[in-house]
Amino acid sequence: MAGASVAEPKSSAKKGKKQQKKKRIPVRIDMTPMVDVVMLLITFFMLTTVFNTPQTMEINIPPGESRVEVAETSLLTLRVVADGTIYWNLGIETPQIVPFNELRKLLVERLQANPKLITLVKVERESTYETMVNIMDELNLANITRFSLAPFQQFDRDIINRLQPK
Amino acid sequence: MVLKKSRISIFIDMTPMVDVTFLLLTFFMLTTQFRPPQEAEVLLPFSHSAIKLPESDVMTISITKDNKFYIGFDSQILREKVFGAENKFRAGIEADKNTLGNLMIQARMYNPRLRTVIRGDKAAPYGPVEDVMNILQKVNITRFSLVTELEKSM
Repeated sequence: MAGASVAEPKSSAKKGKKQQKKKRIPVRIDMTPMVDVVMLLITFFMLTTVFNTPQTMEINIPPGESRVEVAETSLLTLRVVADGTIYWNLGIETPQIVPFNELRKLLVERLQANPKLITLVKVERESTYETMVNIMDELNLANITRFSLAPFQQFDRDIINRLQPK
Repeated sequence: MVLKKSRISIFIDMTPMVDVTFLLLTFFMLTTQFRPPQEAEVLLPFSHSAIKLPESDVMTISITKDNKFYIGFDSQILREKVFGAENKFRAGIEADKNTLGNLMIQARMYNPRLRTVIRGDKAAPYGPVEDVMNILQKVNITRFSLVTELEKSM
């Protein structure tokens, strides 16, 4: 069997040489139209291909009602009001405004001062979704991967309102 | 005379080029994923998150800037089952706060591997997003993702 398989290509190569030489010359198809079409298709697919698939931010929320007791001093609250202003406070201190571009620095500092820091984010319903995504992004960048989102309540509104006159 | 002579001499063998072009063509044909049709125009916010959007088994909840909710799936079979045959070609259907939860439960019954993603418009208010998250919590979907565009700076 092995001998046959070795012998065969030899004989076919000898035969083929004669036949191929004769055949090769007449088979000369003009490929230009085909190439044109193929190029057209390539450009089409190249241009329609979407390489940048959107990114996602993963969130895990606790199932149902779960309560965690937290020491007041290690609770950092971020309140975002309708116009996008961010107020922060530790525990029951009075909230202070922090500009968005300094938020990360603040978060990193606070986290260094207290590694057990728990962050609570309260976003007012009238504020935009983008603000909330931006803040979550900042939290992720500051390595705070565990934080809570709490509803912004009337009580929070009152706290902010009390600050305004000053 | 001169023209005729030069013409004959320009006969390049195009076979290798054709080979390569076909290779490229098959590559692009196989990798192309047409942008899935969207029922509503949504401008995504930016983030630095690097997790890619999953490609299959996705349930998309879109929130437009005029506070409308749309729920959609990537598979046509699931759309047909949940939305009915007449809506199977639509990317998503409009839902409201009360129907969203039921649709999600229904869809998860047909395909338990479904991953939930929220596509919120940049300019959408936070209120509806909060509602959607509350609904998700209620129907026990505790893992979901927010779709964002990659931000290049910093």
